[in-house]
Amino acid sequence: MEYCTEGKVGLDQLRTEITEVARTFGVPERGERLLADERRRIEAVSARVKDRAKPAVFVYDSGEASAFTSGGKGIGNEIVALAGGTNVFADLDDTFGDVSWEKVIERKPEVVLIYDYGGTTVEAKKQRLLNDPALAQVPAIKNRRFVVLPLSSAVLGVRIADAVESLGGQLHPDAA
Amino acid sequence: MRLRAAGALTRTPVVLALLAVALAASALAGLALGPVRIPPGQVLDIVLAGPGPGGGAGAFGAIVWDVRMPRVLLGAVVGAGLAVAGTVLQALVRNPLADPFLLGASSGASAGAVLVIVFGAGFLGFAGGAAVPLAAFAGSMGALVAVYAMARRGGAMTTGRLILAGVAVQYVLSALTSLILVLAAHPDQIRSVLFWTLGGLGGARWGELALPAGALLLGTALLVALARPLDLLLAGEEGARTLGLDTSRFRAAVFVLTSLVIGVLVAYSGAIGFVGLMVPHAARMVVGAGHRALLPVAALGGAVFLTLADLIARTAAAPEEIPVGVVTALVGGPFFLWMLRRSTRTEGIVG
Repeated sequence: MEYCTEGKVGLDQLRTEITEVARTFGVPERGERLLADERRRIEAVSARVKDRAKPAVFVYDSGEASAFTSGGKGIGNEIVALAGGTNVFADLDDTFGDVSWEKVIERKPEVVLIYDYGGTTVEAKKQRLLNDPALAQVPAIKNRRFVVLPLSSAVLGVRIADAVESLGGQLHPDAA
Repeated sequence: MRLRAAGALTRTPVVLALLAVALAASALAGLALGPVRIPPGQVLDIVLAGPGPGGGAGAFGAIVWDVRMPRVLLGAVVGAGLAVAGTVLQALVRNPLADPFLLGASSGASAGAVLVIVFGAGFLGFAGGAAVPLAAFAGSMGALVAVYAMARRGGAMTTGRLILAGVAVQYVLSALTSLILVLAAHPDQIRSVLFWTLGGLGGARWGELALPAGALLLGTALLVALARPLDLLLAGEEGARTLGLDTSRFRAAVFVLTSLVIGVLVAYSGAIGFVGLMVPHAARMVVGAGHRALLPVAALGGAVFLTLADLIARTAAAPEEIPVGVVTALVGGPFFLWMLRRSTRTEGIVG
């Protein structure tokens, strides 16, 4: 779904998706219940981190010669915002996109959000970033500020609330 | 004949000087231009301030010194190396279509890299970031050794056998790469495979420059020293032997030397096409087929060409990057055709 759309992907699309699937399977009331639950959990996190400083987050999906990251149109951008951060590539006009490392250096992210999936382990991705001399001065790398989300919860679907709760806790561990 | 030789002799230093200026200019442009806009004056300050912890000027310093500088240098080294290797291989197999990848080096590198990316999770964990370049090097060496062994069968190495063996090995390895991609790869792995099949310089860092630069300098120096026997090869198999060259042994030795250079370069930049095919021909049109003049001109020409191509690759669609192999073919192809039309020279390999 996220790859098929032209416009921005956000919580509206989540509502559409859950409602349509629930209707298709003849259980619209369960869809409503799930949606209300997702919404309640997300709002709880957003309320908790509302007054916190919003760290600049660089989403690292993968990439060696360039960085594959979450742009401003993806649900990833939305998750970061709801969890109390700002996506440094929110101005990238796409759900995902390749950016050059010099752009990453320029944006000075304070936290790196690594997507966990597929053949490359989180540890290998961390090492890729930590061992790159060009990134040594980037605040997130210098301070080793890494947070992790499974990719399965960072794409549009029923795990969005899980992702927002998890990321909110990682970005603002001391927020009660 | 004598007149033309004399002309080439006086012409070569001028051509070399012009190319050196062009290389300096394109390198400077490579430092100044990129997806992040840095005022040229500030770039100059950063370069003059020298490398320091963080390059002195914070983020811009790191961008100029740690991202753009090694990338420009790797581009120059790889461009020069591919052009030199292409020049020599064209003389070696006496075929204008020869290029560094005709003999299997690029398909071998891709196959090696793809194997490790798709199946080699354990190996990746063990060797870290060096695993894929190592596999690419091993793959290209494996392919070249296979080609060598098959071409050598029956005692002597002939040009016909070398080309046929090279093409066959290349087809088999390309098919293997496609097979792995279709059957086993995740979508995210296909993206990193693209780097190896089309080439790219975006991952260049200082620590990765020593080996390719060393291979280029040593290889080119040795080949320039062998300029005379290389010239003899142009006289044909019989002619070269009459003039006292053990063609079969010489060919084998030069083949091994060029293969090593190509293997090292491909391991760092992927298979960047076109440079090694066209730059040698362009250089021949300008200074003739004598290798003493031709090899340095081809090296500098290749360096200039790839530095400029990479500049286009990372600025044309910024902030996204185009694989540099696409640019070398798209931009270099029409330029070469124009040169071919203008040129009246048909000596050396072409003809």
